[in-house]
Amino acid sequence: MEILQYALRKLLAGLPLIFGVTLVSFALMVYFGPDMTYQLLGKNPTPEQILEVRHQLGYDQPFLQRYLGFLREIVTFNFGESSTGEPVTALLAKTIPVSLILILPGFILGHVVGLLLALAAAYWRGRWPDKLIMAIAVIGMSVSFLIVIIGFQIVLSSSDGLDLFPVRGWNASSLGSYLSYVTVPTLATMFVALGYDTRFYRSVIVEEMTRDHVRTARAFGLPESRILLRNILKNCLIPFITRVMFSIPQVAIGGALLIESYFGIPGIGKATYEAIVTGDQPVLKAVVSLTAILFVLVVILNDVLYRVVDPRVTLK
Amino acid sequence: MKIVGKKFPRKAISVLFVGLNRLISAFLAIFLVCSLAGCGPPSGSGAASPALKTFHFAMDQAPTTLDPVQGANIYANFVIVNAYDTLYSYQYLARPYLLKPNLAVDFPTVSADGLIYTFRLKKGVRFIDDPCFPGGRGREVVAEDFIYSIKRQFDPENQPQGAWLWQGRITGLDEWKAAGSDYAQPVSGLRAIDEHTLEIRLTRPYPQLTATLAQGYSALVPREAVEKYGKGLGVRPVGSGPFRLVSYDTARVVMERNPNYRQEPVDLAAEGYNPATQKFSGVEAIQGRSPPFIDRLEFNFINESSASWSSFTKGDEVQLTVLPIEQIDRVLASKRPVTLRPEYAAKYHVYGGLEAGFVFTAFNMDYPEFGYNPDPERERRNQALRCAMLKGYDWEARNHSWYFGLGEYFPGIIVPASPEFDPALSRASVTRDVAGARKLLKDNGWTPDNLPTIVYGTTAGTTERLFFEQFRAWMRDIGFPRAKVVQKTYANFGDISRAWKRSQLPLVAKGWGLDYPDAENTLQLFYGPNASPGSNDANWKNPEYDRLYEESSVLQPSPERTALYHRMNQIVLDDCVAITGISRTRIYLWHKNVIAVPDREILGGFWLKYVDLKPEPANIPALVKGG
Repeated sequence: MEILQYALRKLLAGLPLIFGVTLVSFALMVYFGPDMTYQLLGKNPTPEQILEVRHQLGYDQPFLQRYLGFLREIVTFNFGESSTGEPVTALLAKTIPVSLILILPGFILGHVVGLLLALAAAYWRGRWPDKLIMAIAVIGMSVSFLIVIIGFQIVLSSSDGLDLFPVRGWNASSLGSYLSYVTVPTLATMFVALGYDTRFYRSVIVEEMTRDHVRTARAFGLPESRILLRNILKNCLIPFITRVMFSIPQVAIGGALLIESYFGIPGIGKATYEAIVTGDQPVLKAVVSLTAILFVLVVILNDVLYRVVDPRVTLK
Repeated sequence: MKIVGKKFPRKAISVLFVGLNRLISAFLAIFLVCSLAGCGPPSGSGAASPALKTFHFAMDQAPTTLDPVQGANIYANFVIVNAYDTLYSYQYLARPYLLKPNLAVDFPTVSADGLIYTFRLKKGVRFIDDPCFPGGRGREVVAEDFIYSIKRQFDPENQPQGAWLWQGRITGLDEWKAAGSDYAQPVSGLRAIDEHTLEIRLTRPYPQLTATLAQGYSALVPREAVEKYGKGLGVRPVGSGPFRLVSYDTARVVMERNPNYRQEPVDLAAEGYNPATQKFSGVEAIQGRSPPFIDRLEFNFINESSASWSSFTKGDEVQLTVLPIEQIDRVLASKRPVTLRPEYAAKYHVYGGLEAGFVFTAFNMDYPEFGYNPDPERERRNQALRCAMLKGYDWEARNHSWYFGLGEYFPGIIVPASPEFDPALSRASVTRDVAGARKLLKDNGWTPDNLPTIVYGTTAGTTERLFFEQFRAWMRDIGFPRAKVVQKTYANFGDISRAWKRSQLPLVAKGWGLDYPDAENTLQLFYGPNASPGSNDANWKNPEYDRLYEESSVLQPSPERTALYHRMNQIVLDDCVAITGISRTRIYLWHKNVIAVPDREILGGFWLKYVDLKPEPANIPALVKGG
């Protein structure tokens, strides 16, 4: 009950954040964003036709009226039609699940494998396994995501490489085809994520391992697995949760954008990319709103999880 | 100091693996739920059955809509002309491009004064079956569908993009729009004489009318579909073309054969077949057969050239692509003629297709620094300045830097793809002459101190920056100080278009694709009344040019009209109003099991219904079944 009350309070407190984010992003879109007028005009437009298109797009309305319309769209979750004529909500319903099942394996495996490697590196701290893992992590962090994508595509998928997977495309109608299409994007995502995650997890674990209570527990003769789970990992959970939770929006939007674009996957990232390129404001507005809402939800969930893993945390 | 005991890893890691297993199980559960909820494509829409003849090809951009009313770009037209019918189309293989009847029975009957066109439509052509029709069965295409579709271009609610083709041309159409675009009201210049006969009355002769009726804008759309789907028609075409849409997203479009498409056996001679240059493609195999020959079309939108190339060379993931510039030295054995290295020639066909359009840079004459000026003497010197910049421009270098050296640069604004192109025209305006440019500047009193600052507008991007740097280097060669040639960047094409249309950029560097193979389509770019926001971004107003344009605009194709076109072209050159121009060459590569001559000009995918796939051992049963 306490958690529910806290979540509701945080949700209410998050409303100004959503309001602020939407206001700033909407102002940026209106004053600095792409002007669709001249993309929707024919090759030889007249001034009257320009006015007609501006009117159709609502560009001739005052800023406040347009912003209120935007808020209404958020509340009703009706963002109108994209430039293709498809309702934006239908577009989101079609693309978000694709992005979810695309990103989830890389996201989960990236963190899990990162944690395992971090444990190994921490265990053999200062020795060659630690140095090897950290060196690989630095490579993962140093190489551009774009290069990683192209490299994995060439090595794993192209006829010049191993030719094991499709170069691009998407088909999740069966588990087999899904795995064939998701593997390379997942490996590319993991490769980059591992660098950051492993270094982060290692530093947290190493710090925890050197604390007095761990040394005391070991002096009491507690089994190492218990020390690991109860004394080390449990105490690491707060930074772990923070790391995982705050990478969700970043992965959901930023990661999917590049991955989907290069692998030809019709998810929300590619839809967002196309919307940016073509100035499709209804789609951009929906994505901006969803991202803001996602951030607020992540913050709430993050705080709730703190409470779950550490009863000393008070939800106030 | 040893920190961790020896027993730590084994047991600890086994505990962690239990957690990992749970996580994977949870993920699989999410996947199954998503699959059931429809995350993946519906059965049959995504992956083609191997029994089907499927042609996969790559395009560098996705269409933004499939509604003919907004079918402005080549990407949209690739789909539109295959989903819908237009009255006319282009011969599959004829170059230069030649019109042919499509939904029309033949070419129109034209009255003696050139004002009344009568078209006969083919009988028995039906729209695809769709829930928008009573009983879900597509009804017959009739003349009223054409009238309705043209009216849509004059209804502001549709944000139409094709009205400029018929604006001020068809009697009563502008008035119909001014009266509120009420579809119940007739348009005096559009009349269905009967279900299969159509009459168009013009306000003045319009020789290009028939060609405009080949464009995607004029595609016949059933009213029932618009009323049922509204703007949703942009993702759900309902036409009578050779293919019907299966799925459309940002990554690809899938179409399948329209099973009710009319039977019209191919006559290669009537399609402009030239055995000397096209026999290699194997198109003789389609002679006498009725298209479409393939079951499915897959348009893959691949903006990244590395991905496109990997998909193409992998096998049959993509069977047709445009050769990326970074692969040219690896793949081509020679450029003129375009030939492949043996290892590629064994697998692929190649064709270098010249663009039906051009790239040019116009001087915006609204800028008194080098355009119109109240001081006649300064205006004379400005003309000399423009001419000097033309002389300083290095078309050969541009061709080699950006277009494999395969582009065709030419003087003036009549492009090589136009039937009126004059190959004998002096090439002085496209031949670099730095000394001549410097002399011209000096003779007209231009010095580094008094030269005006040139603002070169581009969209943001590395390539655009390189375009600018190259331009600046050429201008420095003729005497411009570095600081006097500056770049102004815009976030995207919409923003720079706005600057052009508002006459806010001194130099307008852009490309133009022909809407129809007639030099009028590029000559109108410099017609005075088309000044901004119209297509005359140069805002050039030359009374003699305008008079000739008006005189030629009512003439049917003839030597007399061609002579007028050539005179207009020369006026543009003499006044040095634009640095022009080059038609780029695209190199198409396609797998040898594909029978086709690819193209992407004018109408985009008008040739796709003629594509066939050679039978391969594994496919023979399917081919027999698929016809």
